[in-house]
This record gives sequence, C-alpha cells and structure tokens, in this order.
Amino acid sequence: MEQLKSIGRELAMGSQGGFGQSKEFLDLIKSIGETRSKAEEDRIVLREIDTLKTRLANPNTPKFKLKEYLVRLLYVEMLGHDASFGYIYAVKMTHDENLLFKRTGYLVVTLCLNEDHDLIILIVNTIQKDLRSDNYLVVCTALNAVCRLINEETIPAVLPQVVELLGHQKEAVRKKAVMALHRFYQRAPGSVSHLVSNFRKRLFDNDPGVMGATLCPLFDLITTDVNSYKDLVISFVNILKQVAEHRLPKNYDYRQIPAPFIQIKLLKILGLLGNGDKKASEHMYTIVGDMMRKFDSTSNIGNAVLYECICCVSSIHPNPKVLEAAADATSKFLKSDSHNLKYLGIDALGRLTKISPEIAEQHQLAVIDCLEDPDDTLKRKTFELLYKMTKSSNVEVIVNRMIDYMININDNHYKTEIASRCVELAEQFAPSNQWFIQTMNKVFEHAGDLVNAKLAHNLMRLIAEGFGEDDDTEDSQLRSSAVESYLRIIGEPKLPSAFLQVICWVLGEYGTFDGKYSAPYISGKLCDVAEAHSTDDIVKAYAVTALEKIYSFDIAAGRKVDMLPECESLIEELLASHSTDLQQRAYELQAIIGLDAHDVANIMPIDASCEDIEIDKSLSFLDGYIQLAIEKGAQPYVSERERSGMPNISNFKSQEQHESLTHSLRFEAYELPIPSMTPQVTPVLASSTELVPVPDPYFHTEVHYSATPAPSVSNAGSSELKLRLDGVQKKWGQPSYSSPVLSTSINDTPKMQNGKTQRDSVGSANSKARDASYDSRKPQVEISPEKQKLAASLFGGAPKSDRRQSSSNQKVTKNISHAADKSHVEKTATSDTVIIKTSQPPPDLLDLGEPAGTSIPPSLDPFKQLEGLLDLKQDATTLNTNGVSGTDAPDIMSLYADMSLSDPGNSTANPFSTSKESASLLTGFSDEANINGHGGNTVAQVTQQLNKGQNHRDFLEKDALVRQMGVTPSGQNPNLFKDLLG
Amino acid sequence: MGIRFILMVNKQGQTRLAQYYEYLTLEERRALEGEIVRKCLARTEQQCSFVEHRNYKIVYRRYASLFFLVGVDNEENELAILEFIHLLVETMDRHFGNVCELDIMFHLEKAHFMLEEMVMNGCIVETSKANILSPIQLMDKAS
Repeated sequence: MEQLKSIGRELAMGSQGGFGQSKEFLDLIKSIGETRSKAEEDRIVLREIDTLKTRLANPNTPKFKLKEYLVRLLYVEMLGHDASFGYIYAVKMTHDENLLFKRTGYLVVTLCLNEDHDLIILIVNTIQKDLRSDNYLVVCTALNAVCRLINEETIPAVLPQVVELLGHQKEAVRKKAVMALHRFYQRAPGSVSHLVSNFRKRLFDNDPGVMGATLCPLFDLITTDVNSYKDLVISFVNILKQVAEHRLPKNYDYRQIPAPFIQIKLLKILGLLGNGDKKASEHMYTIVGDMMRKFDSTSNIGNAVLYECICCVSSIHPNPKVLEAAADATSKFLKSDSHNLKYLGIDALGRLTKISPEIAEQHQLAVIDCLEDPDDTLKRKTFELLYKMTKSSNVEVIVNRMIDYMININDNHYKTEIASRCVELAEQFAPSNQWFIQTMNKVFEHAGDLVNAKLAHNLMRLIAEGFGEDDDTEDSQLRSSAVESYLRIIGEPKLPSAFLQVICWVLGEYGTFDGKYSAPYISGKLCDVAEAHSTDDIVKAYAVTALEKIYSFDIAAGRKVDMLPECESLIEELLASHSTDLQQRAYELQAIIGLDAHDVANIMPIDASCEDIEIDKSLSFLDGYIQLAIEKGAQPYVSERERSGMPNISNFKSQEQHESLTHSLRFEAYELPIPSMTPQVTPVLASSTELVPVPDPYFHTEVHYSATPAPSVSNAGSSELKLRLDGVQKKWGQPSYSSPVLSTSINDTPKMQNGKTQRDSVGSANSKARDASYDSRKPQVEISPEKQKLAASLFGGAPKSDRRQSSSNQKVTKNISHAADKSHVEKTATSDTVIIKTSQPPPDLLDLGEPAGTSIPPSLDPFKQLEGLLDLKQDATTLNTNGVSGTDAPDIMSLYADMSLSDPGNSTANPFSTSKESASLLTGFSDEANINGHGGNTVAQVTQQLNKGQNHRDFLEKDALVRQMGVTPSGQNPNLFKDLLG
Repeated sequence: MGIRFILMVNKQGQTRLAQYYEYLTLEERRALEGEIVRKCLARTEQQCSFVEHRNYKIVYRRYASLFFLVGVDNEENELAILEFIHLLVETMDRHFGNVCELDIMFHLEKAHFMLEEMVMNGCIVETSKANILSPIQLMDKAS
C-alpha cells in the first residue's frame, strides 16, 4: 500500500523509454501530458493527425515505426478525434508475424472498430489463421479479438475452431476459448445452444482460472434458465467450500482472502439457484453461514464478500439462523464510519426487509442519518430503501421527502425516476384523495414534463370523482381546495404543459362551482394561461374548453354573460387558428354563448364529467318511426347478413370482402368497428335525412378523431373489434381491457380506500405518526429528538419501545389532539360551504370498485333500463350528457370522464374499460355522417336544430342513435380518416 | 455483462485510457467521459466511491492525479469492483514498478494488454497477477 501511495509522483519519468520508443513519440506524449487546456490538446492532436496521415501512407515505414504510429493513432481516438484514416493500417498489422506487432494491430482494431464495421470482414481470415497457430500466445491474441470483433454472422466462421480450443493443453487458451463461447452466447444465444454442455465440463477444469472464467457464462445461462442447472447446486457449493478453505493456489489470493472474485461470482450463482427453492437452499446454509462467521472485516474485499453473502441469503429460501447472521452483518455495515460500507448496509437492508420487515426498525436512526447525509449516492440509496418499505402508515413522510429531494436535483434521468416512484407510492398508499392531489400537484409542478401523461388524466379523474363515498360535502371541499391551489399556482412561470392541462380542466369544471369565484375572474385566468402559452396548442385547447364550460354554467344559472374583451379577442384569434381543433372549440364556444339557459344547461350540465352516457344500442326509440314507415309501405329492413345468406361473421376478412360488395361507398380500411348491431341501425338511414345539413362535415369528423384519446385509439385495435362484436353485454361485464398503467391505478384505488378506512379504525396510531412527521420535516432533523420523531413516522409504531421511541410517542400524542381539533374545525367549515345544486340529479360520483350511486342493480337488463330511461324525463339529461360529450369531445379528459366514469350499470366500474367505447362512440358519430353523406352533428348543428324549433327530444334521440353506429368510411373524405386513425 | 467500461482520467479531465465493453460512438464517449469526470471530481474523500450516472453505476478510485473509473450495471458488487481497481493498479505496479500516470501514457498498449487479460466480455476473468502478466512478459522477451 505504501508503494501505491507513491504512484502519484506526477509526471515522474518511471520506466519510460523502453523498447522501440522514438524521441518523437516521447515528445508527443510529454506534450499531451503537459497540456493544460482542451484547446491546446486539440491542437496537438490535429497536428498529430496530419503527421500520421502522411507517415502511415508511406509504404517504406519500418514495422516498429508502424507499431508506434498505431499507438499514436490510439491516442488520437482516445482524445476524441476521428482516426478512421488509419484503421486499415491496424488491420494490416494483424497479419504480422511478430506477436507484439500483431497484438498491437488487434488492439487498435478492437478499440476503434465495432463488430459491424466493414473492415472486420478482412480480419476474420486472419483470426482463423491465428487460431490455428502453434504459438499459444498467438492463439490467445486471436481469441481476444474473437471476443471483440466477431458478430452474429461471422460466428460460424470461427465457431468450430473455438470449440476445439476448449480442449487445448494450455489453460490460458481454454480460458479464453470459454470466454469466446460466452461472447457468442451473448451475441446470439441460438448459435451456441448445442454447446452449452461445454461450459459444464469446463467448470470442473483442473485450472482454477478456467473454472473461474466459466462462472461468467454459467451465471448468464442460469439467469435465463434456473431450472436446468439445479443439478449443479452441490458442485457450486463444493467449489465455494474449497475456495473458502484456501485450496486454490496462493496467487489467487487478494489481501489474504482466497480468490474473492471467484467467491463473489459463486455466491451470485447460488443466490439465483436458491431463489424460491427450499431444497437447493438447504445445501447452502452451512457454507454461507460459515463464511459470514469467519469473514475478515478489516479489508474492503472481505466486506465485499460478506455483502455478497447477505445478498445470497436474502435471495435464497430464508433460514432464521443465516438470516440473523446476515442482519448482524448488515448492522455492522450501517454502524461503520465508511460511507461505502453504509451504502452497502442500506442496500443490504433493502434486500433483507423484503424477507423480514422488522430488521429495518432496528436501524431507524442509521437510516435517517444516511437520508440526511450530504452524499448524494447514499441519499439515493436510502430513498430506494424507503421506497421498498413504504406502507400506508409512512407514505406521507416518505413521499414528501422524495418530493423535497426531487425539487432540488437537476439530473433529469433521476428526477424522472423519483417522480414516477412518488406517483406510484401515492397511488398505491394515499391516505386521502386530498393528500393525493396535493402530492400530484407538487410532482407535476416540478417534474410535469418528465412523467407519464396518463398521470395527469388520473388526477383529473380523481378530482371529478371525489372520494367516492356518498359525501358530497367532502367532494366539493376537495374540489374547492383543488381550485384554490390551482389559482395560486397558475400565475407561476414555466409550469409544465401536462400540469397546465390539469389546471385548465379543473378550473373549467369546478372553477365557479362553489360560488366563491366569479366567472369573469376564472375566465380571465384562463385567458391568461392561453395567452402565456400561445405556442402550446394543447394547453390552449384545454383553456378554451374550460372557458366554454365556465360560460355555459353561468348561462345555465341564468346570469347574463359578458365576455371579457381579452377572452373575445382570444376566441377571435382562434377562429382563424391553423389548428382545426382549436377552431372547432372556438366555434363551439361561440355557438353555445348564443343559446338560452335551458339549452345550455342541457348541453353543458354542471359537474357532469362523471355522468353516464346512455346508449340505446337497440335503437328501440325508433320503433314507432319504423312502424309508421312500414305502414306507409316501406320495405322492412333485411340485415346484410340475411341478404347475402351469410350466417355468421366468424372471419373478419370474409366480412370485409362481403361489405365491399354490398356497399360501394365503403373502404376496407375502415371496417374495423362495424358493430354487431348493424341490422337495427340501418333503418335509421331513412330517418336521418331529417337531420339538418351540416356546414362542415370534415371539420366535424376531424375534431372527433383528434379528440379520441391516444390510448383508446391504440387499444381500439383488433382486440376491440372482438369486444364490440359482443355488443352491449360486454359493457356491463368484466372490464376486458386495460393498459398496464391504467390497471395499476385501478387496482390501487381500492387499496387506497382500504388504507383510509384502516387508518380510521385503527385510530390515531398511524395518523399521529404522520403529524409528527409534518412537524419534524421542516426544521432540518439535526437534533436527536426530531430525528426520533422522523424515525417513528417512517417506521410506524415500532413495538420495540426502547426509551427513545417512547419519548417520541409522547410528543406525538400532542399532535393527535391538535390534529383532531383541526379536523373538527374543518368539518364545521364544510357544512357551511354552499353547494350549488344543479337542476339535474346530483352528480353520480361513481367510485371505482363501488356500486354506482344511482344504484341500479347491475344485474338488470341494460336494454330495459335504457328503454325505461328513454320514456322518463330523466332521459333528456342522460342523453344530453351524450350531447355534452360530443361537443366536448376535443377535451380529451372530460370525454374520458364523461364516457367512462358514469356508467351506472357497470358494477365493476372500471373507468377506463369503457374508454374504448368512447372511441367507438366517436367513430359512430362520424359514421352516421358518412352514411348520410352530409356530415355529423356538432354543437353548431345542435344549435341550429334547436333554433329551428325542432323537438328537443327528437334531436336527443338522434344524437344517441348516431353514437351507436359503427364506423364506415366517409365517402367524402376517406383520407382524413386514414390520417387520423393511423 | 457487469463491467461496461473502464476509464483512467487525470484530474484535469484528460483521458489516459479508455476501454469500452459496449459500443459507443466517439461523440457518446466524449460526452460520457466529460460528465462522469465532472461528477466524480465534485465529490469529497469521505463520500461513497460510487456514483450513479444515467443507467450506469460508476465505481471510482483516485490514485494521486489519476482517477480510475469503472462503469458497471446494477447487478455488480460495487465494493468488489473498487477492489478490482486496486488489483489492476497493483498489477501495473508489479509490471512497471512504482507505476505512474506517465508509465501508462508511454505504455498505453501494455496497460491495455493487462486489461485484456483481466476482463473479457465485461466480466472479471483473471485475478492472479502472475497469470495476467506472464503473456506480457513472454511477449517482451520475444521481441
């Protein structure tokens, strides 16, 4: 070690000037070594490139000179400049007879060229020749090159020779041959799958070096397929035993520990083999236990082996005795002064807590020390540990800590990771929705552009749904607080787009909800947002739709609406926007402003984002009309299938062909969502002529497609086709579709509730912990009582009440009473808040996993329900919600919510499972337009219809009907569809 | 594949040796080396010898003016890698006798040859100093 300390004699001349080094080379290296700036270095290297270009091109350069030039070439490349001009000389050098020259040639090639470089093909031949060499050093050199240069295509060229070399008499060759085979396995596992037995054979090689090397490929093989190697467990254990007992040659020792790197590799392999396998694990307990007992804690490498033992123990089937030893070792790491050992200790703790969570509790203070440590690496590792041990009792402390940390780092890679972890934990363990929203706000504010866009939608959904219990007060309180918080935040510069979308949506939906803020105030804020983010079309779209809602609610409430001048100019501007989506919204807004209170209330019901959209798939409300038509002599409808005598659509393709025969207007690409309901739908064709012609059909269709949320489009692929063929029943059945992210959130929600109720019932034990944490968080935890508080909040009510613990508990009790007071105050406050009752039935706040608020038993026949609804006055509202969704369509989120959250019959209440229906609804919309050949009905039409004094109900029925039809291509503009559908 | 790259960089941030076990373009290497060195230089002696960078974990060790940096993936035993660096330095020391930055600069290819013996395919394959150095000594004798 003393010797090594002297390594730092900077620029000392060591053993320079060895064989074949010219003065020129020495000068070059010296000048590179003495540069003090990057620019200076670049100058030297550029000069060197010029020199090398001329020198290398000279055919009379002596070999030893050439070798030197190649090393200089290596410098050029290493210092970041392109040296491709010299590669070919390196390739030539590999042909040389002299081993040093040859190896230098290979070295330059392996360092500079990747395996797919064009020049490689020139080397394969040389490699083949060298593999046959009598000189084993040449063979080794060639095998080194094989590991770096042979790609999937050239493997067959050298494979037979490499396999042959596995039996070479020299151990160095065998070792490298094993690694060459390992490389082939990494590149193309299939190419060597028949040779795997060779690895097993080499494991028992006489030479420990070969055996040690063989562990590398075996580790990879076992990682991918554990079960095929269970028979080797005993062999590995025996090898490990022998290594640990010093049976290997002394020269493998490192710091008096026998072959530690081989031991570590063996322990890793044992960890894999013993994972979840009690029988295999039983063979390991003795040796691993022995190793932990006898380990040498004075050296790093001893600790490295010990740490690997802990990893192994935590991976294999647990054994109390060995586990205890591992826990002891972990606590030694944590108590160490060395940061490196602490780091390993935290990591080990994370592994062990998976098996027995109580281990972490013994090290509360050590963990908090690491969390407080200025060392970033240690801190991150600790966050990883906390992430692993999060539960509903400590989620608030942990997530708040994570967010505080997240705010202060610049590293986007890690920021993204920690943000998604925060969200994951919040979704999984959130004690209350209010807390969840606050947390999400923070995450969005600071990392909004880094997190998944679906999170924004989840947040909006939560605000719309509320707690899901039948407690409207609490819900509106939640919304008010959300609105309040957003109004505070909205003025801040540089908010991420995703967060602004949420803000706009919530302000639009609930900005004037509690009457605290006036419409002009909110709309002014929204205009500011649209103006401040004039380049972000999505935010603008959200803002306009929010404005639309604000004004609608105001009109519906019977107030006179005076548009703010800035708002008017904004709309003016958007009417001529390049984005058709923004145009559409602006036109809609204009149209709605012109309507009377009753119509507006129907179009844009307050807080209806969770309302149901009822679809009468059987179109039963048309029965009377059809009856009438038939009486007048019209032909009864014969379904397509019956007409062509095709009994069943089992094959999509055949249907497609069939369709193209019967309908000249249809284009193949749009056949996907043809509903099974076609028979009933078709009679509508006649009736739909009554629809008022549409000003701009393209416009309409485009908007609706663009509005279709991306996930539903992508998921509405072939699988959706099948679902839709199942027809209505599916809608009430089990949710059959969910993307991974969605499913987590869905699954999590019940958990959230559980967490909540649990807390309530368990009582203050957990909540006090939280309060304590809030208090302790702010003043940096330096004083030990505060640290203890944090510990208490992190690790929950640790039963092992040592003195410190109990003292912290006392402190905490104060907090409880305080919290109780506060909550009481809050309760009374809420009861005072005014809730604007809508003319509609109260918002049906569907909670996931709970039966619908409207309490229609899910077992009822949905059709009957629909029929019943249609005749009631209520149906107007329901259908109106449809209308809203239609007009609202570009507002993706409200659509999502509208369509999916509100199905009262959907007992499983999977909010997103219905989103596919929303997609199909939209397509249905346009479908109708296509069949008729004159567009669909947007708000503009709606208003026209209303203005013309048409029966309101008629319109609604049509509106609903339109939604049920599958999509067929627009005869007028098929390309538009193509683009939008992708 | 455990080890992704091995770098030797002096405290001015100048690369003295670079060995990558996965292909990166010249620009990617340049950027990576710059970022890592900056990160490691900013750390104090007491802090961990491990740093996370993008999807790598960097294990580093400083010998006088020279930093040895090893980029590994998540599965690797960081402390063992730290000791592996020391083993590499000891090996070079045995060969050069009191190795220093200039030794490595003047004998860049030899330093690479040693690494070639010790690490293949990103795995540590040889840890016996005698075994590592014997091919190099034989080659020296022959030429």
